[in-house]
Amino acid sequence: MAKARALDKRRKSIKNIRKITRTMELVSTAQFRRAMERAVAADSYTKRIVRLVRDLAKAGLKTEHPLLAERSASKRAVLFILSANRGLCGGYNSGVLRAGIARLKELQSEYDEVELVVSGKRGFSYLTYHGYGVDRSYTQFDDKPVYEDVLVLADDVLKRYRVGEVDRVDVAFSKFVSLSKQYPTSETLLPLSSMTSEIEEDATNSSELVDYEFLPSPRSILDEVVPNAFRIKFFKAFLDAAVSEQIARMMAMKAATDNADQMISMLTTSYNRARQSQITNEIIEVISGASALQ
Amino acid sequence: MKCVAVTPEKTVFDSEVEFVVVPLFDGEYGVGKDHSPVVGRIGAGELRLTLNDGSVERWYVEGGFVEVVDNTVSLLTNRACLLRELNLESVRQEYETARTLPSNSPELMEIRNESIERARAKLRAAEKAENVFSR
Repeated sequence: MAKARALDKRRKSIKNIRKITRTMELVSTAQFRRAMERAVAADSYTKRIVRLVRDLAKAGLKTEHPLLAERSASKRAVLFILSANRGLCGGYNSGVLRAGIARLKELQSEYDEVELVVSGKRGFSYLTYHGYGVDRSYTQFDDKPVYEDVLVLADDVLKRYRVGEVDRVDVAFSKFVSLSKQYPTSETLLPLSSMTSEIEEDATNSSELVDYEFLPSPRSILDEVVPNAFRIKFFKAFLDAAVSEQIARMMAMKAATDNADQMISMLTTSYNRARQSQITNEIIEVISGASALQ
Repeated sequence: MKCVAVTPEKTVFDSEVEFVVVPLFDGEYGVGKDHSPVVGRIGAGELRLTLNDGSVERWYVEGGFVEVVDNTVSLLTNRACLLRELNLESVRQEYETARTLPSNSPELMEIRNESIERARAKLRAAEKAENVFSR
């Protein structure tokens, strides 16, 4: 009886684990939907900003701005790494950290000082354990990053960049492309060099032309656009990270549930076999006992 | 005429309106039906929307742009909340904090001036809200 009972016990515990992973899968599916909606909302804002800059470019304004220019000084850089607060999401955290550390080494070779800012408990504990000096860490940006909160961070770093305290700002996060494609990456936020190329690309394949009046002047509008482009890009990184985390967790938990299912069916088979052979044994004993009495 | 207000987080307002008063950064700007195409820079202040039934909605917006084209007013702004949701005390506090910012370099001076201007506009809006809604 011992073997069958042990198998049954194991099967029960795996059933319990399956319940947990299944629930986590459902929870992250729901959270993913919400995070996704937010990402899409931010997208419509980004598109409008891009269109605005395109119209500015058409109005004959050169996209020149202190935030867009490459800096010659290489004193201090800031690197943000956006990881998750919780694990159980497959290779999500390790992917982001790998991208982050690669960028960190790159920056360290170019800049005198690199300030490391981490969001998420997982990233923080990994980096401190491995001896990377983390200067600041945040854990409040969970699966629902609030724009107001991100804005505080963005404005702080923007201010430090403007006064020349910081010469470069990078962010490492998991980029969300589609449900089946997310990848860890690192981007340079300041100087905002990529903005112009994206827009020029966009400007070439659009034909409609509206003759806008700019209030007070195209120049002044640009002064407002550029910091906003940075803020939205920064916020988008947080949103992408949140969506990717939920997808990663969904996938990981789906795989775990499938594995548990497989294991349960295997254990059920061996439990039934063990039980059957036990019964057979007992019957043999009874029969042989009876025949011995004859 | 249509009016859409978007923040990076969500679309806060999307409906038909009669008339819109936008707080541009150098003064208020009114937009009615069949307005010519305009792109303007929003400062901080009160956004007044006259709905088709004649009622007025008051919002507080801060920074961003307004674009008027084809009878559609689109506002891209960093912050938007209903005017009556502003807390006068905390706004006053914000203004005081802005005034104590350091100003010992040209860049810091610029940042300080921007913060003060923004806080002042917000305070003005909040005080107005207090008068309008307490009656």
